[in-house]
Amino acid sequence: MKFTTITKWEFKDTLSSRKSVMIFILQLSILLLMIVVFNSFVANMESEQGLSIAPSLSGFASVNVQDSSGLFQKRINTQVLDVTSSNYNSSLKKMQQGQSTGFLQVPDDTVNDIRTMKPVNLVLYVDYTDPKRSLVENEVNSTAKTMQDAISASWVGSLNPQNDSEPEFSQKSAGGAMPAQVMDRVMLAILLFLPLFLFGNMLVDSIVGEKERKTGEILIAMPISQAQVVLGKGMAVVLTIAIQVALWILILLIAGFQIKNLFLVYALVVLTSLPVVGITSAVSAYAKNYKEAGIVLSFIYIGIVGFLIIPAVAYVARKSMAANISSMTLVMRLLSGEPVAPVDYLPAILCIVIVGLLSYWIAVKLFQREDVSFGPRPGILKLLKDLVSLKF
Amino acid sequence: MKLMTLAGKEAQDILRNRIYILVVFVQVFIILGAFGLAFISSVATDPNIIDNYGLNSALKVGISQDLNGSTLAEDLKAQNLNLVYCKDMNKAESLVGRNFVAVVEVSPNQDVTLKMDNSNIFYPVVSTKVNNAVNEFKIEKSLGSAGFNDSEIQKVQNLVTLKVVNVDGSHASGIALESPNFVEIMYGFVVPFILLLPFFLAGNIVTDSIVGEKERKTFEILLMAPVSSSTVVVGKILPILGFSMLQSLVWILLLDLLRVPIYNMFALLFILFFVGLGFIGIGVIISMMVDSTKEANSAITIVLVFATFVLFMPLFTKVPYFGGILNFIPTVLMVKLASSPELNPVLLVESIPTIILSLCIFLVTLKYFRHERAIRL
Repeated sequence: MKFTTITKWEFKDTLSSRKSVMIFILQLSILLLMIVVFNSFVANMESEQGLSIAPSLSGFASVNVQDSSGLFQKRINTQVLDVTSSNYNSSLKKMQQGQSTGFLQVPDDTVNDIRTMKPVNLVLYVDYTDPKRSLVENEVNSTAKTMQDAISASWVGSLNPQNDSEPEFSQKSAGGAMPAQVMDRVMLAILLFLPLFLFGNMLVDSIVGEKERKTGEILIAMPISQAQVVLGKGMAVVLTIAIQVALWILILLIAGFQIKNLFLVYALVVLTSLPVVGITSAVSAYAKNYKEAGIVLSFIYIGIVGFLIIPAVAYVARKSMAANISSMTLVMRLLSGEPVAPVDYLPAILCIVIVGLLSYWIAVKLFQREDVSFGPRPGILKLLKDLVSLKF
Repeated sequence: MKLMTLAGKEAQDILRNRIYILVVFVQVFIILGAFGLAFISSVATDPNIIDNYGLNSALKVGISQDLNGSTLAEDLKAQNLNLVYCKDMNKAESLVGRNFVAVVEVSPNQDVTLKMDNSNIFYPVVSTKVNNAVNEFKIEKSLGSAGFNDSEIQKVQNLVTLKVVNVDGSHASGIALESPNFVEIMYGFVVPFILLLPFFLAGNIVTDSIVGEKERKTFEILLMAPVSSSTVVVGKILPILGFSMLQSLVWILLLDLLRVPIYNMFALLFILFFVGLGFIGIGVIISMMVDSTKEANSAITIVLVFATFVLFMPLFTKVPYFGGILNFIPTVLMVKLASSPELNPVLLVESIPTIILSLCIFLVTLKYFRHERAIRL
C-alpha cells in the first residue's frame, strides 16, 4: 500500500462530499467578487491619476459656496465634497448645526477684478470642530490654485499672443505610479496564490479528524507507514489546490486578464502549495482539536502571506534580487512578461524545497509519536528538547 | 432568570476561552498597524506635511551645476526641494531611483525636462513641487519678456488669495495628523473596519458555541431543558453580542487615545448592535445547517467574504445609479456618523433598512432554531 492509495481515498472523499463541492464552487464565486473589486480599484485609481488608494466616498464632507460668477464653484472637486450654493448667514447656520464643514465666499465682482488685474480675495470659513476640515481646506486650496494658474496663463496668453519662446516642460518617468504598479502586477499574483490558503481546513479535518473521531488507531494498524499516510493526505490537498488554481486561471482568462508565461506561472503557484500544505500537516499533526489547529494556522498563514507579498511589493519599489526568495515575486515578474534568468528561480525553489521537506519531516515525526497522537500531548518545549537531544 | 443563567454561562465560556482573548489582543495590533500605515502613507504623500515636519531632505532632486543661482533653481528651492548640484548630468540621471527622486534638466532653449522614478514613495510630492516651480518659472519668463517688472510679476502670480477663518477654533477637534489623506483613510475605511472586526469574530464564536454543543452531543440535552428555544437562542446570542459591543466600545476609546476622535458614539453603537445581530443571526442559521466545526468555519468564512464585499466596496467605488441605495449601507452610515461632530437625524432614518434586515434575520433564526429538521434529534 502506497501513499497514492491514501491520496486517492481522500480525493474521492472530497469529490463525493456535496458540501466540499459546494465550498469549491463558492470559492469560485469569491474569485468573481475579487475580479469586480480588482477592476473597480484599478478604475478608481486611474480616475485619480494613479496617485491614491484612499477611499472615495461621495459626499464624505460638504462645503457651501457663495460664488455669483460660478468660476470657482464649478472647479471644486466633487469626488469627495458635496458642493452647495448658499449665502453667508445660511451657511454659517448650517456649519453651527454640523450640516456642513466649510463655507467659501467668493467676492461678487470677481469677473471684473480678474479683467482689471485686481486680486480676488477668497474667504473660507472652516468648522474647526470637524475633523474633515483639512479635506475641505485642501480641495478649496487646489481650486484657488487652479484658478490662479488659469488666470496667469490667460494673462500671459493675452500679453504674448504669438509667443512661441515659452519654455516647454516634459516629464519622463521610469515605471508607473507605485500604487498602480502594485495593483496591476501584485494583485493578479495575489489572486492566483489565494487558493493555496483556502484548503487548509480540508487537511486539518483529515489529520485532526482522525484524532477526534478516534480512527487514528485503525489507520496506524493498516499496512502503511505513518510517513505515507501524512504524504498521501497532503498530496490529496495539493491535487485539489492544483485543480482550483487551474479553474481560477481559466476564469481570469475568460474575464479578460492577460496571463503571460501561463505554464510557468501555474507550476510555480502549485509548487508553492507544497510547503504550505507541509506546514499545515505539521500543525494538524500536533493540534489537539480542529479549533486549535484553525486558530494557529490563521496566524501562520498571515505570516506566509506576508513572506510572499512583502518581497513582491519590495521588488516593485526597488528591483532587488533578494526579493526573488518569494515565489510570488517570480510569478509577478513572469506575469508582466519580464525576462527571468534561470538563476533567479533558485532562491524561491530552494526555499520551497527546504521548508517543504522540513515541514513534512516534522509532520511525519509528530504523527509517529504516540504521545502526540493519543496523549498526553507533550509541550512545545519538551518537543524542542527531544529534537536537540536527537530523540524526536 | 433562566435566560440570565444561560447568558452568564455563555459569557463565562467566552471569557475563559484563551483563543478568543488572544484574538482580541490581535485586534489591538491590527488597529495600531492600520493607524501607523495611514499615518506614514499620509505623511509621505502630502507636500505640506513634509514641509511642516522638515522632512525635505528626503526630496533629493539633481540639477546641473550651471543652473546654480538661476530663476528656475530659486523657484525649485522655494518649493523646499533638496537640490543637489551635479557636474555630470548623465551620471545624475543614472542615479535616479537610488540617490535622487528626480533630476531636472534644462536645454539650451530653456525647455525643462523632469526625469523621475515613479516607484519612489516621494514621487507624488516631488512631481507636484517641480510642476509648481516650473509653472512659476514659465510665467515669470513670459511676463519678464513682455516687459513686466518683478513686482508686477508677483502681482500676477498672486491674483487669487485664500484666507481661512477658523470657526469655533477654540473647540477644534484634535486629530493626529492634519492631512486630507489621513482623514479619508482613517474615517473612510479604518474606523468602520475596526469597529466591525469584533462582529466578524462574533460569527465564529456563535458557530463554535452551537456546533460545539452538537459535536459534544450536549445540544439535545440543552433543548430538553425546561426553557423555550427562544430563550436558548437569546441566551447564546446576548453575551456574544455584548462581548462584541464591548470590544467596539474599547476600540472607539483607543482611537480617541490615538487622536482619531469618534463622534456620535451612541448612534454608532446603535447601528453596530443591529449589524451584530444580523451577523450573529446568520451564524446561528449556519450552525443549524451544518454538522461539524469544519463545515461551520468554511461557511462562515464565505459569508464574511461576501459581507466584506457588500459592506466595504461602497467606500471605494462610485456607482452613480446606486448612489441612493449606498447611503443605506451600514459602513457608509458609520463613516458619516463617526466623522460628524453633530448628529444628523437623516442618518438615523437611513439606518432603518439595516434595522429591519437584522430583525428579519433574527426572526428567521428563532423560527429555524425551533425547526425539528434543523435540530436533527
